[in-house]
Amino acid sequence: MASKNNRGQSIAVNAFMIFVVLVCLFPVLWMCFISVKSVGEKISGFAALTIEHPTLANFGRLFELIPVWTNLFNSGFTTVLGTITTLFFCALAGFAFAKYRFPGRAKLFAFVVATMAISAEAGAIPLFVIMRKMNLINSLWSLIIPRIATAVGIFYLTQYIKDVPDELVEASRVDGCREFGIFWRVVCPVIKPALASWASLTMIARWNDYFWPLLFLNKNSKYTLMVSVSMLPVSDGLATPWQVILAGCTLVILPAIILYLLMQLMQKAGSFSGAVKG
Amino acid sequence: MGRRKAAAPSAVKKGGVLATVWKYRAPYLFIAPFFILFLVFQLIPVIWTFVISFADWNGLRNLRWVGFHQYEVMFQDYMFREAFMNNVWYWIVAVIGVVVIALMIAVCLNSPRLRAKKVFQTVTFLPYVCASVAMGLIFMMLFDENAGLINEIIVSLGGKRRAWLGSSQYAKIPVIILFIWRIVPWFTIIIYSGLLNISKEYYEAATVDGAGVLQQFWYITIPLLKNILFFCALTVTIDIWKMFNESYTLSGPGTSNTSLFQLVYENGFKSFNLGYASALSVILILVLLVISMIQYRLRRSEEGV
Repeated sequence: MASKNNRGQSIAVNAFMIFVVLVCLFPVLWMCFISVKSVGEKISGFAALTIEHPTLANFGRLFELIPVWTNLFNSGFTTVLGTITTLFFCALAGFAFAKYRFPGRAKLFAFVVATMAISAEAGAIPLFVIMRKMNLINSLWSLIIPRIATAVGIFYLTQYIKDVPDELVEASRVDGCREFGIFWRVVCPVIKPALASWASLTMIARWNDYFWPLLFLNKNSKYTLMVSVSMLPVSDGLATPWQVILAGCTLVILPAIILYLLMQLMQKAGSFSGAVKG
Repeated sequence: MGRRKAAAPSAVKKGGVLATVWKYRAPYLFIAPFFILFLVFQLIPVIWTFVISFADWNGLRNLRWVGFHQYEVMFQDYMFREAFMNNVWYWIVAVIGVVVIALMIAVCLNSPRLRAKKVFQTVTFLPYVCASVAMGLIFMMLFDENAGLINEIIVSLGGKRRAWLGSSQYAKIPVIILFIWRIVPWFTIIIYSGLLNISKEYYEAATVDGAGVLQQFWYITIPLLKNILFFCALTVTIDIWKMFNESYTLSGPGTSNTSLFQLVYENGFKSFNLGYASALSVILILVLLVISMIQYRLRRSEEGV
């Protein structure tokens, strides 16, 4: 009786998960399929699932419609620089909160946590005016500077740095390390796994960022790839073929997936679950 | 560390605030960037939003103070009412949908009966990696009335073709499906890490006592995950009230599936009615404030126990 029950459970669990995997993968695979179909081929309904003449022509057409290389550079620039600056400043603040006892520490930390509730989107209107005053409209820095130090990042890295032994910090202080030196040469190497998982989450979020680039950038040559692709349906006089639009989607989604899979391969199991503990 | 803590009060006495700041200059300097950026790019804009909401302004010149006029307009505006109600609908569906689905996936991932756990873990996280805007374009085509696969499947199962994005009746459905599809993996991981913290002994004891799987789930898993599930519900709430990408890419007729934040964007940056857009933002801020107050209250009461 018991073993029969177990078997039933085992089938139920595995079948459900296979179904979930199909739901997760299907839209992405379907996108890849259509993006390599020639424009003449039928893409409606089930016909989308067969490819007769695989072609890369849609990607070629994409390069004619939007400045792909420029947009790609813009996306890469904001993603990489945004991630590096955020990691550095969040870790630095996390180090201060975790390893120093200074007046107001607990209150300031509670304040940082509290700021997570009201997001920057709530002040989008004046933020645009401020950016214009600072001459940052149409500058990629407008996407990097406001998020140099984020509350979530500080919160996560503080929790992690707390686990670094105090003795390690004290010992390097005795050895004559300056305060910043302790952070850079002692703490940073120890928290590498946390930095790596936070880096991958930040990179994915920045790459996928849409609202802020849409708001702060309004020139073709300054758009990130995400904004350019979102405008594909109207970029060819409303006649952009779906194959080309989905080629654009492939171009923004595949790098993120590849990055994610690489990170998964490099990291040990469960590193993402560590990233969001608490 | 202890030595530094003990020294703090005397420093305050001797040289006042400046001396204290100087003494602890390293940590203050390290946390300063966050507070400066928060002030300039978050606090000032939020306060300023309240100020602009009492004005009529196109963003350049002609700023005119109009008192509560924008709010009067807003409460008469059916577009505001529709967007607000849309958001309430999105909120209810998303909280229930995300928490239930994420919990189911997390429990299965944690089940000892699941094979190739690592593969499932990796693949089920994928939707979160995909950009919502690009997925929006894909969903637009999947849900197309004539050429879309969804209708094709419904018809082949004997159902009726529906104008998903072309009718105000159904336009919210693709939006919320996209939102849930993309966000569930994130919460799956949070719940999964909560499940990992539950001691196996509980389940072993329950099995010995003859409790079935469903009973174990209901009487052990759910109560022990209560806090985490609540945290998930709150996070989904915050995310859904500032949802933009999904409803913006999959926009239906009129304001049939517009989110409140999307309405802010359209009033502010398409018709440059910054005063009105700010008044809408104020509603959004109030909603977020109420949510965070609930969260704070509950956290307090839990700490008290």
